[in-house]
Amino acid sequence: MPFKRFDQNRPFLTLALVALVWVLLPTVVKSWGRASFFELTAPITLAVSRVRDLQDFWALRLRPKTELIEAGRDLARLNASYEFAVQQNLELQAEIARLEGVLRLPSYTEYRYEHARVARRDFSGWWQQIVIRKGRNFGIPVGAPVVFSGGVVGRVTEVHATAAIVELISSQTVKVAGVVEGDTRPLSFQGGVNPTFAPPTGIVEFVPLDIIVGPNATKRLITSGFGGVFPPGLTLGTIVRVESGSDGLFKSGTVRLDERLGSLTEVTVLVPVGQP
Amino acid sequence: MGPHGSAAGERSDSFVESHKGYDPRIILFYFILAALLGTLGAGLAYRQLANVGKYADAERQQNQRRVLFPGPRGNIYDRHGQLLVGNNHRFAVLLHLDELKTELIAEQSRIRRNFVAAVEKKDVPGFSQLRQIARVTLVQRYLDQVNKILGRDEKVNAAELGRHFDRQLLLPYTLVDDLSGPDFARLIEGLPVRSPLEVYASNIRQYPFNGAAAHTLGYVRPDNEVEADGFPGEDLTTFKMKGTSGRDGLEKMFDAQLQGEAGGRIYRVDPTGFKINPPLESRSPKQGKHLVTSLDIDLQLVAEEAIGDQIGAAIAIDVPTGEVLVLASMPNYNLNDWYPRMLPETYRKIQERGAEFNYAVNGRFPPGSTYKILTSIAGLRAGVLKPDESIIYCDSVLRRFNGRFVCYNGREHHQEILLTEAIAQSCDIYYYEAGWRTTPERLAAESRRFHLDVPTGIELPERGKSIIPDPEWKLRERGEKWFPGDTANMSIGQGFVWVSPLQMACFTASVARNEIFTQPTLIHDPDRPRQRHESIGLTPDQRKAILDGMEGCVTHGTAKTINAIAELRIPGINILGKTGTAQIPGKRNVAWFIAFAPRENPQIAMAVALEGDTPGEEYGGGRNAAPIAAAVMKRFFEKRANPGRTVVAPIRSE
Repeated sequence: MPFKRFDQNRPFLTLALVALVWVLLPTVVKSWGRASFFELTAPITLAVSRVRDLQDFWALRLRPKTELIEAGRDLARLNASYEFAVQQNLELQAEIARLEGVLRLPSYTEYRYEHARVARRDFSGWWQQIVIRKGRNFGIPVGAPVVFSGGVVGRVTEVHATAAIVELISSQTVKVAGVVEGDTRPLSFQGGVNPTFAPPTGIVEFVPLDIIVGPNATKRLITSGFGGVFPPGLTLGTIVRVESGSDGLFKSGTVRLDERLGSLTEVTVLVPVGQP
Repeated sequence: MGPHGSAAGERSDSFVESHKGYDPRIILFYFILAALLGTLGAGLAYRQLANVGKYADAERQQNQRRVLFPGPRGNIYDRHGQLLVGNNHRFAVLLHLDELKTELIAEQSRIRRNFVAAVEKKDVPGFSQLRQIARVTLVQRYLDQVNKILGRDEKVNAAELGRHFDRQLLLPYTLVDDLSGPDFARLIEGLPVRSPLEVYASNIRQYPFNGAAAHTLGYVRPDNEVEADGFPGEDLTTFKMKGTSGRDGLEKMFDAQLQGEAGGRIYRVDPTGFKINPPLESRSPKQGKHLVTSLDIDLQLVAEEAIGDQIGAAIAIDVPTGEVLVLASMPNYNLNDWYPRMLPETYRKIQERGAEFNYAVNGRFPPGSTYKILTSIAGLRAGVLKPDESIIYCDSVLRRFNGRFVCYNGREHHQEILLTEAIAQSCDIYYYEAGWRTTPERLAAESRRFHLDVPTGIELPERGKSIIPDPEWKLRERGEKWFPGDTANMSIGQGFVWVSPLQMACFTASVARNEIFTQPTLIHDPDRPRQRHESIGLTPDQRKAILDGMEGCVTHGTAKTINAIAELRIPGINILGKTGTAQIPGKRNVAWFIAFAPRENPQIAMAVALEGDTPGEEYGGGRNAAPIAAAVMKRFFEKRANPGRTVVAPIRSE
């Protein structure tokens, strides 16, 4: 009878034993185990991402030729407009360089750009992360800012051999020093409480009292550049509402973030020049 | 039954106790037991039911702590809504010590292990020493995080930290409190979000116009007198974050209104004093009420700029209401120097310059010839002066009562002079005679009628005492009898007469309204009615004579300077004024000018008093004081003509 009772409780005892071993394990071993687990599963994540790309490729291959011809024509037009935009950008860059020369400003070469494809999105009420398909193999460091065409994406929080985890600015654990466009006084931006499928929002604090925001007078929030992580002038979001704080010194409010944060496929990591 | 059974039965009879039934003696023990149990039960009930409140309170007091933090003070504005005193932020990095409990225990254990491994057991520090070492080590580690981000090398003050741990554990400890905007930004991005470190904005007073109206606005200093009325837990151990209280000027006089409503939180704490989140009670602080003063910062700046490096005061009063438009006392000092703390060197310089003293309200000087207006009123009311009667021949020197009385303004010999010209030319000899005719008692009575002997009642700390002398006063205070020379001095505002510039401004406003009293106020009320007090009691001819004299003073008399300088002229407005130059024996001259304008329906009344900074130097009311009043009045009427153009840019500190 006792043997039978032990036999019935074996799973619980095993669980307790494993938990005990985990608790007693040194922190170094635990950290190593966690990192190893990610490195072990990273190829699966990346493989899934590549299979999905392949799937998309074959889906496109099955389209009728007329559709492809139309798409090709549209693409040609798009390319033409992009080429025009590229020329305009070159002219603008030349103008900026000329003005920098006149003002004797140093050229802006603190970062190199590393474009990376998003392998996985991991959104919850607690964190908002994406996994990108580049890591240590491309020299991406922890803490590097990540951007996309709509502005700031977030910061790299973990770097692995072939992948990296990016904490989005919609996550509560990200804080950025921003400024209201046209102003120079820094304020604090932090990701808000964002349920999984809700439009991303953030909160802004230390907003100067003379910054007026209303439903018809929203303000663009951009990076200040003072914080040492993000270069200045990148879009964080739009301040849609502010209210006076109880201290009478500042206002605090809500920032509407770019909804594309939830469906990113490509991002750019700004790798500080000079860092490994 | 066999032999064994028999044996067993014997054993039973001899060794096994058996119940013999009811024994009445045991009843006693029942009662004793019941009594004991009853006592226990009653004691328990007494403590658990009757004393429940007491023990609940004791438990609450032992397990709960109250934290109070002050509400921001209200702002102070000028009459046009320009911010004169506001709140500004000062970024700091705080460390929430009450979140470090686990880390502290681990740190203490680690340090102890290191000691045990390194030294003999007897040399291992005691518990309190280890605890202090752990505190300093841990807090320094957090400070190093901040240092690394900011590129600084700040060190923890061990003694201060120990005191904070022991007395104010629930209040955050300030690691760095002088962060610039870029420092703030670096910390926002550099510090982990979930950390006991917090970037915090503390509240300090800000004066956008630096030293403008410094004595009127006043300043605040930190204190621990934060009270949260209506917030529960008054009996609990309370930690108070530093608040502020007004120490001078309006900040002091309206401290109760400006003080914000303190916020508070009540936490449950563990036996070692560390808090258990979330708070049981919480209330947000609220900003104090705003104060709208009657000052016009634009005019105030004009007055202060006009006074410049001179010592003295300029006051302007809205004649109908008594609202004070300008209350300038120079030298002044930058009120922002008080924050976050006044440096000893800066304070020494302020004291050396006498910049803390409010000349406008607390300065007392002989009013000089400006007092002749009062002498005229007293003489006219007494019937000893008549507008069309020349009472004496001014030959610049008058010999009377075995004495020699000089007309200090009579180089041109005023000769036969009437009241109007006596005012315009400020003929001393005319007023010596007027004083003798009026008598010192009547002069003193008239002065008291105009409230020159009592504080004005303005909403500022009024120190110093005015003197309106008469024979009785001299006998009482000096033990001497009154001489005709004293009357002569009094009639021209010299000798024992001492009043403040603010009192003379009120007197001027009263004359402008043809009343005997003006209640000055520093609080602006757009609906404030015109003041109405007892009439001076002059006939129209008598009043006309005085006003003609004051107008003549500006057009061709002792204050003609302001009419001669094109920049000071006000098109279409006649200023009515009276100069004065008071000599303080052995000291410096005081240059006076009182004025109001326009003649019909007066709007603004002023008094300017300047103390000469060099003994023996000529310091005249017409030359030195009148231009200041004219500059302020000119700006006043310019603003009246263009009411929309009143925006004044705050002075930016370097």
